[in-house]
Amino acid sequence: MLLSRNHTKKLSLQLFVVVAIAMVFASCAKDYEKIPLGQQMSIDLIFDKNDSAGQYAIEFLTNTYNDALFNGHNRLSGDYMDAASDDAISSYTGLSNVEKIATGAYSATAVNADDIWTRSYTAIRSATIFIVNIDRVPLLEKLSDGRPARAAYKAEARFLRAWTYFELVRRYGGVPITGDSVYQLTNNITLPRQSFETCINYIVNELDAAADSLRGEEQVNSANYGRITKGAAMALKAKVLLYAASPLFNGGNIEDGNALTGYTNYDKNRWKLAADAAQAVMNLGTYSLMHNYTDVFTTQAEPIGNNTETIFWRQNGNNTSVETTNGPVGYTSAGGSGRTSPTQNLVDAFPTTDGLQITDANSGYNEDDPYANRDARLKATIFYNGYSWLNRYVQTYDGGLDKPGGTIQQTKTGYYMRKFMGSFENVQGSPVYSNTIHDWIFLRYAEVMLDYAEAANEYSGPGDDVYNVLYALRNRAGITLGDNNAYGLKQGMSQDEMRDAIRNERRIEMAFEEQRYWDVKRWKIAEQVYADPLQGMDIQQTGNGQLYFNKISVLTPHFTAPKMYLYPIPYSEVVKNANMKQNPGWE
Amino acid sequence: MYKQNIKLYLIGAAQLLFSMYMVKAQNVNNAQSHTTMQSETVTGKVLDDYGKPLSDVKVSSTSGTLLSVTDDSGRFDIQLVPGREIRFEHAGFDRNAVRIKDRNNIELRMHTAFLGTAYTFSNNTAAAGPGNNIQTLLSKSDTANSDDTLYDKSDGTNTMYTLYGKSDVSSMLGSVATVSGSALYNTPAPQYTYALPGRIAGLNVIQSQGFYIPSLTGQTNVDAFVGNIPTNASGAGPTDNNQFNIQLRGHNASAGQSPVVIIDGVQRELYSIDPEDIESVTVLKDASSSLLLGQNSSRGALVVTTLQPKIGKPHLSFSAQTGFQESLKLPDPLPAYKYAYLLNEALQNDGKTSAYTAGDFDAYKNHTDPYGHPDVNWYNTILNNNAPITRYNLNVTGGTKTARYMVALGYLNQDGFFKTSSANSYNTNVQERRYTIDSKIDFNVNKDFDLGLNILGRLENNNQPGAGASNILSALLTTPNNAYPVYNPDGSYGGSANYTNNLLSQVTNSGYLSEQERDIMVNLDMTYRLDKWVKGWWIKAKGNISVQSASYLNRSKQAPVFQMTVSDAGDTSYARYGSTINQNNTFTSTSWARYWYAQASTGYDKQIGDHSFGAVLFYDQRQALLNYDLPSVLTNYAFKGNYNYQHKYFAEAGLDYGGYSRYQAGHRFGAFYAGALGWDIAQENFIRRNVKWIDQLKIRASYGKTGNANVDNYGYYIWNAHYSIFVPSYGLGSNYPTTTGAEENATLPNVNATWEKAKKLDIGADIALFDNHLQATFDYYHEKYYDVMQSRGNSIALIGANYPAENIGVDLYHGTELSLTYRNSIKDFNYFITGNASMQYSKVLFMDEQYEKYPWNVHTGLPVGQRFGLIADGFVQTPEEAATYPTIAGYTLKVGDVKYKDLNGDGIIDQFDVAPIGRTKPLIYYGLTLGFSYKGFELNVLIQGVQNRDIYVNNGPIDAGFQAQNNGYGQAYEQAQGRWTPETAGAAIYPRLTAGGNVYNNALLLFTSNSLFLHNGNYLRLKNAGIAYNLPYKWLKHLKVGGVKIFVNALNLLTWAAYDQVDPEISLSSYPLQRVINTGINIKL
Repeated sequence: MLLSRNHTKKLSLQLFVVVAIAMVFASCAKDYEKIPLGQQMSIDLIFDKNDSAGQYAIEFLTNTYNDALFNGHNRLSGDYMDAASDDAISSYTGLSNVEKIATGAYSATAVNADDIWTRSYTAIRSATIFIVNIDRVPLLEKLSDGRPARAAYKAEARFLRAWTYFELVRRYGGVPITGDSVYQLTNNITLPRQSFETCINYIVNELDAAADSLRGEEQVNSANYGRITKGAAMALKAKVLLYAASPLFNGGNIEDGNALTGYTNYDKNRWKLAADAAQAVMNLGTYSLMHNYTDVFTTQAEPIGNNTETIFWRQNGNNTSVETTNGPVGYTSAGGSGRTSPTQNLVDAFPTTDGLQITDANSGYNEDDPYANRDARLKATIFYNGYSWLNRYVQTYDGGLDKPGGTIQQTKTGYYMRKFMGSFENVQGSPVYSNTIHDWIFLRYAEVMLDYAEAANEYSGPGDDVYNVLYALRNRAGITLGDNNAYGLKQGMSQDEMRDAIRNERRIEMAFEEQRYWDVKRWKIAEQVYADPLQGMDIQQTGNGQLYFNKISVLTPHFTAPKMYLYPIPYSEVVKNANMKQNPGWE
Repeated sequence: MYKQNIKLYLIGAAQLLFSMYMVKAQNVNNAQSHTTMQSETVTGKVLDDYGKPLSDVKVSSTSGTLLSVTDDSGRFDIQLVPGREIRFEHAGFDRNAVRIKDRNNIELRMHTAFLGTAYTFSNNTAAAGPGNNIQTLLSKSDTANSDDTLYDKSDGTNTMYTLYGKSDVSSMLGSVATVSGSALYNTPAPQYTYALPGRIAGLNVIQSQGFYIPSLTGQTNVDAFVGNIPTNASGAGPTDNNQFNIQLRGHNASAGQSPVVIIDGVQRELYSIDPEDIESVTVLKDASSSLLLGQNSSRGALVVTTLQPKIGKPHLSFSAQTGFQESLKLPDPLPAYKYAYLLNEALQNDGKTSAYTAGDFDAYKNHTDPYGHPDVNWYNTILNNNAPITRYNLNVTGGTKTARYMVALGYLNQDGFFKTSSANSYNTNVQERRYTIDSKIDFNVNKDFDLGLNILGRLENNNQPGAGASNILSALLTTPNNAYPVYNPDGSYGGSANYTNNLLSQVTNSGYLSEQERDIMVNLDMTYRLDKWVKGWWIKAKGNISVQSASYLNRSKQAPVFQMTVSDAGDTSYARYGSTINQNNTFTSTSWARYWYAQASTGYDKQIGDHSFGAVLFYDQRQALLNYDLPSVLTNYAFKGNYNYQHKYFAEAGLDYGGYSRYQAGHRFGAFYAGALGWDIAQENFIRRNVKWIDQLKIRASYGKTGNANVDNYGYYIWNAHYSIFVPSYGLGSNYPTTTGAEENATLPNVNATWEKAKKLDIGADIALFDNHLQATFDYYHEKYYDVMQSRGNSIALIGANYPAENIGVDLYHGTELSLTYRNSIKDFNYFITGNASMQYSKVLFMDEQYEKYPWNVHTGLPVGQRFGLIADGFVQTPEEAATYPTIAGYTLKVGDVKYKDLNGDGIIDQFDVAPIGRTKPLIYYGLTLGFSYKGFELNVLIQGVQNRDIYVNNGPIDAGFQAQNNGYGQAYEQAQGRWTPETAGAAIYPRLTAGGNVYNNALLLFTSNSLFLHNGNYLRLKNAGIAYNLPYKWLKHLKVGGVKIFVNALNLLTWAAYDQVDPEISLSSYPLQRVINTGINIKL
């Protein structure tokens, strides 16, 4: 009895020990990785010394495109940047971010929606990582002309970085340049801003360096379609130099002697640099104007498509988003939220088919039939009352299908944006939108021509070369040659008159392409442009179909000169960095 | 204000105590005046709630003389004068009293006390008892018990469940509070968390949602490169609690600082356990009591113990209860005509065109055109006024001293408030159905070896409408009454271009989403006493495997909506909006978690004379494996020692070397320590001899360093620099193909990440007076948290990446906690009052705050989480004022706008005018429970409240209305009537109406908070109330039923809130809080 009891005790102790040890040891089993699978990719794997295909490195570059290039269609919380200019307003029922920009409702502490400071440095970091590491990858790929593809890839990253700096500089003036440094937590990054001049020189040098390594447009195939080409680097250089030569920075510095906000002197030669850079692109012979204006925005570039005009764009692909977001609201089956309301100011900027401004007594403009006999680009840009679309007429008169009143989002100006959309004017059967190419074009040949015209006019006055640019654009737009063979333009214009003509041409040719908002600033004319309320058109239809047109004020912009010519540096950046200097007026 | 409150509180309590004591003193005097009459033998039997014999019941005379103690069969016999009253007392039971006439074989039942076991302390241990034989009787039972197992019920009298075991209450030095299962029991709620608010000092339990709406996020996030990246990066695992935010001493769940939940000795974040299945919930607050949690010790712990086996014949308890739930504080929508009128006003204020004509108003008001001009109160249309909740619980327990068992089964069915359609063969309503099983077997293999096996299982099915309950509730909040008719004349669902989903269709005709949760938890406990080698030496081991999985079945669908239009010619046409989505049938696994826990400890207890020593060596490891995540492993090696002299002077100390696997190798382990001292002054001779009414007067202090490894809340393996691959990236290629991109992790690695730390000091006193009738606990704590994970202030964006959380912050939390309990009985009228109050301060000592231009901008030195905002100062009343008053950039002031204080006087309202808004005073929260039982009647009430609290209500639809929405304007509520107008300028609560949001007045669009929307958040709730009646035993005896209790109880019965426009706890559009009124029956065999 005693024995057996001891025996049980012994057994139970053994049992205890065995189970306890088993439990402890089970915990020590080695059955998992030290680092999670998704996190095992180090920089050495991305830029793999042994991968002659450079797969991950190229994928890294692919993503750098994503970081650096944004889609301009309805970019700012659903609106076009142009809806913050005098060309349009947002139809949004609430308070849109573009309205906040247009009315100056932002500050250094409550930055505006277009503040890209943080995002830009993310793109710059991404590009720099690629630039400083790609040479480790023994990439074998060659371009079709036998040049190493690695140099082209690296140049693409340099372009994207330069582009990002340009985006910063036109918003903030001179900004800190991080060069080829990739900072870590332990680094001191209280970098000062570089002068405007240093930034422009840096961007131009980077573009020059990139241009020669980039592939030419003819080397593009279906697989690398969308990559940056040599022409893009050259066209961007022209644009950067044009901005640098513009009044805001060249002679019109908003704070005398402040090298951060512009050049501290005026130098006419800057216009020449800009003109030469644009001329260089024109001399390439690669690009030309397309025959049909509307096709420019919905056709892929050569050699894939037959668009001879686009130079640099963001790949967006085939979709209906522009149509459904901005189309007139009355097309219920096709969809249309009518987000963008172009202003009367923009409509009035389009000449008649004779090329004469509507204020011209000879233009034949009829206030009671205001959309007849107008520059065809009006029709390609704006939906107005009576426009034929999806097999019916657009009705933007009060109570019309596309301006029904009530609480839904609808036009505030009597107009909708038409540009960038496919040609759905006469769709038969069920009226719906089909997929259309909606790449966002940053640079196209027409701009290079206008860049040239503007710079050349400023440098050497309105010569034939300047006139020829406008002739070409007006010819393409369908404006009649006219008796004076000048497409409605006055022959022998003064430099000032030509300046106005170029500015207006730029406005109507490139409406909604995110040009006007910046042009108004760089021309330093914002205080005049935004001095008066923006106009819309109120249209009343009587019982017998008679239309009455009344211009109405739709938004009172607010521009505080000179401080709003540049954005404030985000306050948090200034307060954290003793070397960071705020822009004038925003301190 | 606060001081006055406390003063009143103390005075009140003192008065109450004094009067109680006087009553008691009188009773004693009366009883002593008749002691000399002839006595005779009285025998009887004492039964428990189950009608089972109750042993160890003290039978005493009214004068307090102990006459007998019941034996194992519950019997007693005493010599007594007939006509006298005798009393029956047993720890954990309400006192009973019987007047003895000439009855023999008295049968008497005792009922479990609401507050559970009262801890008894005595300073009279050395004093001779009355009557030697009784003394032997008692001591005999004591000796017998001490030989028993760990699970012996005699342990229950003066012990409390603490971390990984039980502790003797009289020698505890930490800050610990407990609430017994019998107090949780009458909360008509699906989870025990509902029963916690107001019950425990230091524990602030905030309810943010009225129903458990499970997360339906799938667990897969497929990574193109290798394997998958877990979506649940928190490391905490899936939770079954999204209704409550549990804050211990001010620490927030959002930062991974809510108390660790220990279920039956194992860390497991389970909340969905029936209150009826719980034995007790204990909260461990200070450093020394939670030290063994090592890398989690800063968080404190919620120790939940489910029902434990009882010795004896099978005890069976069955409860059935059913109640109805009713929503608290639903908003009042504006009828369509008022909506239309006010929207016009708003549009006019904005200079926009009016949306409605006079004809529209009339049509809305008179309901003459229900299709063209609908006026639908969506709340009434899609919600029921009340919804049922039903629970059944069955448990059986019994056994001998060598083997005991307990099985508890539970069923819950809680319905939500959505309307349903009889056309559906399936349920579309929100519903929680839960089946639980808890079984325990304790087995003494032999004298030295105890084995315990515990299996806890749970099946839970959660249903909701196919459109998703949360989606519907947010659509309900924002849909105007005139948005669309419920049905069109042709029977189709109404809708419009802006409202492509019909609310009623979403509720009853969108199919259903069914979520299933499965839990099982298996514990094995072993204890071996090695007394035969070294007296007092023992070893213990515990193992646990716990599995949880959740999946959901998507059977949702969508019906299109139609808008009817009648043309001028009178032709009716229907435009179709929204799309038909056929019913889905997809199955998604939402979470799968496995927890593994092992613990081993060995200890040695020794008493030499008046000196008692104890020492424990401890090891444990917990692995949590979530989905396809790598396991997170917590490991502890610890030593704890304790000493006391004569139960008078106490000391204990511990050292924990704890590690967490989610830190970089070589940086995983840290040392944590704690020590505590205590002195029970009541045990000093000068008290024992002179002040008999002091039973316990223990002052104690503990200090320690604790840790909180919450790194997972700030990213997944944040020390590991890495790149990742993702799809889709930039669409390079003429066909815009789906490309793969690679990127650097957006957040930089923090290679130095380590656990947060705290130095915690707790000074407290435990007091028991007047024969333990009054018990009080007081604590003062001072906790300095440092190395708190925060983003650095100097986070310059030029780096081009996100900054990781780093160990930067230093926060101070300090406060006081007081709990007082008085319980007593007058004959068999048992009553109690127990209250607790907590006062909590916090202060940011360091947060890497960058240069602030003005002193009022500074955050450092203010309470943690202090709200900053603009200070609203009335409304602009005149055009002159509008022209001159400071405003924000780009905004032109209009009459009726809010005026903000321009603190720096620069004429512009901006970030520099932002100052602390709301109170910086300490938060006070409290609870008061009182009740009584008398001749089978029971009543109890819990009042719970919070003081010095602010709530920030910046809900667009409620506060402003007419928010831009779906290309139109959203709903507005009765609150909109309080807007500023020239006529009501004096009484205005809100600024002038605007449509679509106003950058200046609207808190949502303003760059910061705005004191206009800050309200007094103080509230007081009648949180719980219950009455019950136990049918007399004599009625039941012949039915062989031990006890039948019928009861009615309620949750959230009444609320008084300082700001009564919204519920003080939940935020819109969460599922509203529910008032539950519940009835039931409990049968015990």
